[in-house]
Amino acid sequence: MSTRQPRFNQQVLLDTTPLPDSVPKVTEIGASSAPLLSASFFIGARCGPYNDDYMKCKEDAHGRGEIDCMKEGRKVTRCAASVLDDINKNCLEEFRKHWQCLENNNQQLWHCRRPEQLLNKCVFDKLGLEKKIPGAPENETPVHLRKRQIFSHNFSSIREDEPQT
Amino acid sequence: MAQDLPPVGGYEPIQYKRNLPARGFRPSYYLAAMGIIMTYGLYRTGQGNREQNELAREKMWSRIHLIPMLQAEEDRDLVRRHWADKAREKELMGAELKVYHSDRFVRPTYSISPSSVTKE
Repeated sequence: MSTRQPRFNQQVLLDTTPLPDSVPKVTEIGASSAPLLSASFFIGARCGPYNDDYMKCKEDAHGRGEIDCMKEGRKVTRCAASVLDDINKNCLEEFRKHWQCLENNNQQLWHCRRPEQLLNKCVFDKLGLEKKIPGAPENETPVHLRKRQIFSHNFSSIREDEPQT
Repeated sequence: MAQDLPPVGGYEPIQYKRNLPARGFRPSYYLAAMGIIMTYGLYRTGQGNREQNELAREKMWSRIHLIPMLQAEEDRDLVRRHWADKAREKELMGAELKVYHSDRFVRPTYSISPSSVTKE
């Protein structure tokens, strides 16, 4: 069929041409998966409207979203960066403990309820962002607030005898 | 010669039934115990399933919250490469050529390999 031989190479090919100056610069997030997972619900709490806006724009753009929705995309990135920045400034210790716990536990949230609750509390007190899982049944305790996690190999997320700080 | 006759009072009854003591409890007790164990087990399984559903929901939403951000970053990078490609093409070919008969953004299948490898 094809007469042209495919050419493979083993080097990493980088195109380092920057975006033109007409596009405003935005600093990329640069966080790895565990901190992002740890901060995801706070990003969702603050940046929900921006996120929805961006996804809507992409849907309405009919395949041209990559170029047409760059403005919305920058807003999304800036908002997420602001959340991470605020968490880093106000709750660095709790944040670190939680995402390191996630790193050590296969990034499964239910093994790390205790650091998570400390982080949630700190973020709620200082930034006013609350973790909420949309669509969860209303007559039950949300899964991240339960005292006992059935699938956790850590004894319990929050021990009864311990004062909940 | 005297004839063989049954003993006085007749023969003793022949034991044809097995005479083994029945071990353990009555079968109905075992049935009931199994019922209790099964009910408890299924109850715990149900609890676990419900919790698993909630955990799945949590995981799903944590990703939903992150997707726009990751997508935005990816798109910016793609557009940057796309524009760089177009500029390179214009420089080499003298005109902007359209490969596809549509305005849509097409994720590139091929990438050009530069003659000299860029160091990061």
